[in-house]
Amino acid sequence: MKQPIEMYINGEARSVTVDPYRSLLDTLRGEVGLTGTKKGCDVGDCGACTVIVDGRPLNACLMLAVEAGGCRVETVEGLQASPDQLHVLQDAFMRHGAAQCGFCTPGILMMAKSLLENNANPSDDEIRFGLSGNICRCTGYTKIFDAIRSAARQLQETPA
Amino acid sequence: MNKPHVPVEARRAFTIVGQSVRRNDVLEKVTGEGLYTADINRPGLLFGKIKRSNVAHAKISRIDTSKALALLGVKAVLTHEDVPRFLHYGSPHPRSASCTRDQYILDDKVRFWGEGIAAVAATSEEIADEALDLIEVDYEELPGVFDIDSAQAPGAPLIHEVGPGSNLVLPPVRVERGDVENGFAEADFVLEGVFEGGRPVPAYMEPNVCMADWDGSNKLTFWTSTQTAFMVRGSLAEVLGLPLNKVRVLVDHMGGGFGAKQDLFQHEYLCALLARQTRRPVRMEFTRAETFIAGRSRHPCRILLKQGFRKDGTICARDMKIIYESGAYGSHSPGVTTVGTNAATSLYRCENVRLEGCAVYTNTPIAGAFRGYGVVQAYYALDIQMDEAAERLGMDPAELKLKNAVREGDIAPSGHPIVGRGLEACLKHGITAFDWIAKRTETPRNDPAQPAIRRGWGVGCEMHGSSAYPGIREQGNATVKMNEDGSVTLLTGAAGLGTGAHTALAQIVAEELGVTFESVSVVHGDTDVVPWDIGAFASHTTYLVGSAAKIAAGKLRAAVLARAAEKLQTPTEALDMVAGRIFIADAPDRGLTVADAMGPSKGIPADHLIETGSYTPTKSYSFAAHFVEVAVDIETGLVDVRHVMPVHDVGRVIHPIAAAGQIEGGIQQGIGHTLTEDYLIDRTNGRSLNAGLVDYKMPLSMDMPKIETVILEAAPDPGGPWGAKGVGEDPIIAIGPAIANAIHDAIGARFHHYPITPEDILCALAAQKKE
Repeated sequence: MKQPIEMYINGEARSVTVDPYRSLLDTLRGEVGLTGTKKGCDVGDCGACTVIVDGRPLNACLMLAVEAGGCRVETVEGLQASPDQLHVLQDAFMRHGAAQCGFCTPGILMMAKSLLENNANPSDDEIRFGLSGNICRCTGYTKIFDAIRSAARQLQETPA
Repeated sequence: MNKPHVPVEARRAFTIVGQSVRRNDVLEKVTGEGLYTADINRPGLLFGKIKRSNVAHAKISRIDTSKALALLGVKAVLTHEDVPRFLHYGSPHPRSASCTRDQYILDDKVRFWGEGIAAVAATSEEIADEALDLIEVDYEELPGVFDIDSAQAPGAPLIHEVGPGSNLVLPPVRVERGDVENGFAEADFVLEGVFEGGRPVPAYMEPNVCMADWDGSNKLTFWTSTQTAFMVRGSLAEVLGLPLNKVRVLVDHMGGGFGAKQDLFQHEYLCALLARQTRRPVRMEFTRAETFIAGRSRHPCRILLKQGFRKDGTICARDMKIIYESGAYGSHSPGVTTVGTNAATSLYRCENVRLEGCAVYTNTPIAGAFRGYGVVQAYYALDIQMDEAAERLGMDPAELKLKNAVREGDIAPSGHPIVGRGLEACLKHGITAFDWIAKRTETPRNDPAQPAIRRGWGVGCEMHGSSAYPGIREQGNATVKMNEDGSVTLLTGAAGLGTGAHTALAQIVAEELGVTFESVSVVHGDTDVVPWDIGAFASHTTYLVGSAAKIAAGKLRAAVLARAAEKLQTPTEALDMVAGRIFIADAPDRGLTVADAMGPSKGIPADHLIETGSYTPTKSYSFAAHFVEVAVDIETGLVDVRHVMPVHDVGRVIHPIAAAGQIEGGIQQGIGHTLTEDYLIDRTNGRSLNAGLVDYKMPLSMDMPKIETVILEAAPDPGGPWGAKGVGEDPIIAIGPAIANAIHDAIGARFHHYPITPEDILCALAAQKKE
């Protein structure tokens, strides 16, 4: 029996009707139509589906949509302040070559956003630890670390 | 052979090539707007799933789909009785002579655990999954062979009716140069070793996915995550009995491939057939487990390597036998065996070589193309044995490798002469920049602050070809259009699997034309629109398609200048064009913009210009030396790679950040396959043991070393645009032996296999204690 739920996705109230077994990931990608969040494993191993729910980063494949009822959900589509104003992290990822195939990128961007919100000046070890649940198979992570360091500096100089 | 025997083109200065411009596909990647195949939807979409065998080798004696078909929401079920019985290629390269036709779409015989035996299309994934459980199958089990030895034992059960027999995929590849017996007779000492390689998988982040839709004119539109869209088109058309213009293959963004997404996969045929049967669009998406079971791995291998050395470090004879385990189907085994075996003629100079390469079927998942393509295995053995020779000679290993490094004029594995002294340049640069001699000779292996840690330093070398010549006579194509407003459109069939290839191609076009990078847009990924392409593999896109794009852009430049000359009433030869402005070279103030040249003026209507470029390359070789530091924990057996300095010669660098990204990502995969990654198959029954990203251990953010990437432009090759060569595969080849050699330096134990696990380290240390 499908259930109606309301979520606040990227600041906008959205009502959807979902099967009780449907994951938040499948709901975002299917019912809501936000396909920026990727499915790399569907079992919580890869972090490609990282979204921020009520301020906490988590794997959208491991949360049921019905559990997210009433929650604030942030996805990669909500990172930009406006169509022509990118988030500092998005800009840094482009400049530093932190995205290759780009499949892990939305999840890593959301994890990095959460990391910087909780720790404005992370050490290299803290960045590494912060990304330990996100698999990237293209970059060797070096350019991702560069981008996050650069974004952190920029955010400290001119807070968003 | 149309490799131009001329020096690399001299040029005044580059304005776009060599700059790390913002990639033209990256905005979509950071905003989430980029469409990957699984992101695309169609009205009425059905979901396809594959039923997989739970035995490794069997005849299917009965398969009953009636219960599955009766389930509400199930729209079609296909078994071997319902699909065309057509023996097809796993790797259908129409310009290659060495393909293996050994697969049916569905067969009444099962050759590995997890092979697809039926397919379902249903209105939801859940219903499709439920239907799979309702398909009843009876098997008549056959004895299986699960490793190289049992597959080659006398009387071993045969997996295929086709091929040369004895479970061989192809007749052995034999290469002989000089006089090996004589060479060994002249040797002061001989080293001999057996080397073994595990089964790493590419583990691209985007699981294989495709979607098929047929229209009323019986034309198939097929979205798929592939490196080789035109191969998909060709093979689907062949199997479905359609002309090529009735199959349209689309791929926009894709989430990595690393070589493996060159194959035609079983689910791709089945998806097209399910859509045809139901007259509805069907999507099939692998689970992560299926990317292991039904994907493609690197070939596990065994190598017997014997080399004779003189006291001065010269190699006087090399005898190598390499056996690749192909798994249940041939896939890329002919290419891998040929390329890997021939690779051992080179890297370190030797006049007398005798090589034999085989590929053997077993009842295990399919090995295919994977970054490094047979060469990873061969050079792992070759480079480690060089390290052993240095130890025996009391020489520094980097010095010995430098002494024997392949150089200008030597015959490359492809049969034509090496250009330049790239490997020597990499070694020399690294010896100084890494402070190699001091690190090796002056730094204690023990660290008083960390009593369980032993440090060690190692170097590994490699060379790798850009393009699959001579195995495949490749062809690169490009169409470049100049629009009426002076903007430029490049049409290319090259896949964008994540490397930044489309950016490099646009840079090449902009540079050659004399326009800005931003004025060039790239159209790709639609086989109905773009020129034919062989696919993105063999580290060749920049080299091959880049050359074709440069040819097309050069013709277009001439056409644009001719048009401007008419407008300026001046001879074409007097004109130059830079950054989108055309001017008289001797009077730079007199000129016009490209837009003005293309637009209308009195008596001259607006125009758009179209030019094409086509290029058939031979091959260039790129080189690398990797210098690494490891820390081995003698209590836990853990190996920590702390520092890597990869030094690469890639000829002319088009986009430095993208090139460095290839190198650093290759090191990540290479560290994995050397230390932790191995897709394990139960050797008693063929079952997969770790088909998931937790049990298959890859290096992640916490594991990556400090990497100081060095890119040299030491040996540009005239076959590539302004001397550019490939870079995609090189890094994964050199890092493995560098790590193995560093472990030996740290603890004195020599390993001839990968992955080198903590258990292996502890066993070796325990054995040392006993001695």
